[in-house]
Amino acid sequence: MAPSVLYHCPCLSTSDIPPPPHLPSSSHSFHPLNTLFFCEECDAVRCNRCVSVEVSSYYCPNCLFEVPSASVRAEKNRCARNCFMCPNCRNTLAAVPADPESGDGRIPAGVAEGPYIMYCNYCRWDSAEIGITFEKPTGLAAQLQKYEDSAPDSLEFDRLKEHFDAFLRTSALAASTSGTHHHSTHHSHSLHTNSITAAASAALARDIPGVGKYNPLARSTTGRGYGKDRSVNKDEMTEYRSRSEIAQTAGAGGGEPDVELMNSLEEVGEVASLEQRWENSWVTPLQTKQLKPIRIPLHSKRSKRCPACTHILIKPEQKSQSVRYKIKLMAANYLPGIVIVLPHMRQLRDELSKRNLGKSVAAQVDEPPPGMVAGNTYEFQLNLTNPLYDPIEVRLSVQRVHVSTAPGGTAEKARRPPFAISLPTAKFPISPFAEAWEYEDDEDMFGVEDDELGIGMGSSLSASVRGGREKDGRARPKTVGVLERKANKTVVGGEVVIGKEAQGNVKFNMLVSYTYRSDDAEGGDLGVHPSKPEIRRFEFYTVVDLGPIISREEARMDL
Amino acid sequence: MPPIRDKFTIHSKAVVCQDVELKGDITIGAGTIVHPKATIFAIAGPIVIGSGCIIEEATIIVNRRKEVMRIGDENLFEVGCRVECPSIGDHNTISARSRVHHTVRISNHCVIGVGCLVVPIEDEVLDDYTIVYGPGAERRKWSGRGKVQEADLRRKHADYLREMIPKFNRLRRGDGI
Repeated sequence: MAPSVLYHCPCLSTSDIPPPPHLPSSSHSFHPLNTLFFCEECDAVRCNRCVSVEVSSYYCPNCLFEVPSASVRAEKNRCARNCFMCPNCRNTLAAVPADPESGDGRIPAGVAEGPYIMYCNYCRWDSAEIGITFEKPTGLAAQLQKYEDSAPDSLEFDRLKEHFDAFLRTSALAASTSGTHHHSTHHSHSLHTNSITAAASAALARDIPGVGKYNPLARSTTGRGYGKDRSVNKDEMTEYRSRSEIAQTAGAGGGEPDVELMNSLEEVGEVASLEQRWENSWVTPLQTKQLKPIRIPLHSKRSKRCPACTHILIKPEQKSQSVRYKIKLMAANYLPGIVIVLPHMRQLRDELSKRNLGKSVAAQVDEPPPGMVAGNTYEFQLNLTNPLYDPIEVRLSVQRVHVSTAPGGTAEKARRPPFAISLPTAKFPISPFAEAWEYEDDEDMFGVEDDELGIGMGSSLSASVRGGREKDGRARPKTVGVLERKANKTVVGGEVVIGKEAQGNVKFNMLVSYTYRSDDAEGGDLGVHPSKPEIRRFEFYTVVDLGPIISREEARMDL
Repeated sequence: MPPIRDKFTIHSKAVVCQDVELKGDITIGAGTIVHPKATIFAIAGPIVIGSGCIIEEATIIVNRRKEVMRIGDENLFEVGCRVECPSIGDHNTISARSRVHHTVRISNHCVIGVGCLVVPIEDEVLDDYTIVYGPGAERRKWSGRGKVQEADLRRKHADYLREMIPKFNRLRRGDGI
């Protein structure tokens, strides 16, 4: 797996410090940057786990028709126009006129006439196989509605709904007339019944101060006695009788007919696969030839809110054709992006591609991903990108893992990969993000900046880094420290020393803290008062995964 | 192995672009359209392509056998497919980026779905109306309903290409001309 950087969202834990990366809980608290949101009000990162989601619109993914939320339930969450899914391969079906009965194989130039069939362009399933043809190529769902409505399962469901409807309405009514504590528990039920009638009856039966309570359903003048109330008592419900016996319902599974079918089976293809059957919500037919085209399920556009301040973090445009957002507060626009590069991996890949140049493409896939061999030292590069329009100063620090405090100390310690990370500990700047057209004018400015940086760097580099360079004593380029600055990107080099007995992945938590100028200072001259208090600080944790460690024995075997 | 002798016989009504890689003994029938960047290799035996076929870009058709590779009429080879079948009937569709091995013979009205690999180890003949589809290259039989529609569409497709391709591409002529 390629090296990755994941960002921390503190929603799962009470403390701001994330769990160490070797614990299983770590993977739940860290997310890729592109999935995170940023709440400006709270000044905090929000992930998909903690935001509250609400549906802003429903639409059909095939015809892009926006379905008003009022009719979504009536249409059973599926497109009620012309969109159907192939029961065989789940592709969308097209309505085409059936072939003319006779003729030379050419279609007359005039208007094509019915009957029409539904036809899958992918697997060539057509609705005539199961005996469905249409008079006209529009309003297919309406034409199929009679099949759907007359199906025994949907009739049964309607009856069941009717049966409970009366009960729900009376209990809702009773709840609204009786005490408030009862009201809350029944409120959810009343939502499912017709909300208009419920509201009307609730309004009629509202308590009037000073007037004695009258409960028309319970026929008791004492409002307190609702515990014995007949309408509220669940046990008093009339027994439900199903329309038909379960065994007789087609496709209910089991029984003699299925055994007979299995005995006369000739091909596996005659039995519908699980995937095909699961698309049907009620009856899942056993035979492929019983599968019917299904209306395409609706999709929804959702907006998300911050859990703390309920401000909207992301809100799509209402139109289903549009892929834009009205509000979009992505963390990628606030936090510096980090990309990991492993120079030794790149070298390996280059060598591989050279070697594979003459070979076919398939051979390249088989190559095992090269990891890091235990006992060696590797360099890595962090490529930081500043998304802000202001310059930022970043400080990186690797979180120490105190294994002794972790539960199950010794065993944990033995398994934990012992490796040491060295990263520059000093602050380093990243230039502001500018639109592409701005770069053209600023080119000469960058040269000056780089010179200044060079002078500044010497003094600000930490002692350990300089020590490391001196010890090497060779004329090779430095590996730890700021390696390159270009536009709004800064490349920082680091080194990892892997212990001889190391196993697992090189994975460590890294705290990224940065200072930036707050929005209020935008009007002021940049750089004139660099130490003014309007400079703000933000910090977040990341987990860096540099990839697996290959133990020495394995490495030797590969060679 | 003797060097491959090129011999191209292209019907005067066929549309074969200049930028097509042809090798060996190849015959292309009337009204067949070969898009630029297609490759037709007759390594061992000759290749004979019927009339009204459409061979799209980056298609690779190879004959590794000694005997003649016959491709029938009104077949569609979509972008990036690779075909090595010793024989192909009429009205077949080989969809984009699919691959058919030299062990398979294709009859008529077959469809090889997008990206399908048809690579049986033993020799096999795909019956008429066989549809290969899906990631697992599943097979099913087509009822044949809608084939008139499809043939009509194929004809219109070819007519359109026959008109448009010469406007934007140099054409290749057979050896005879």
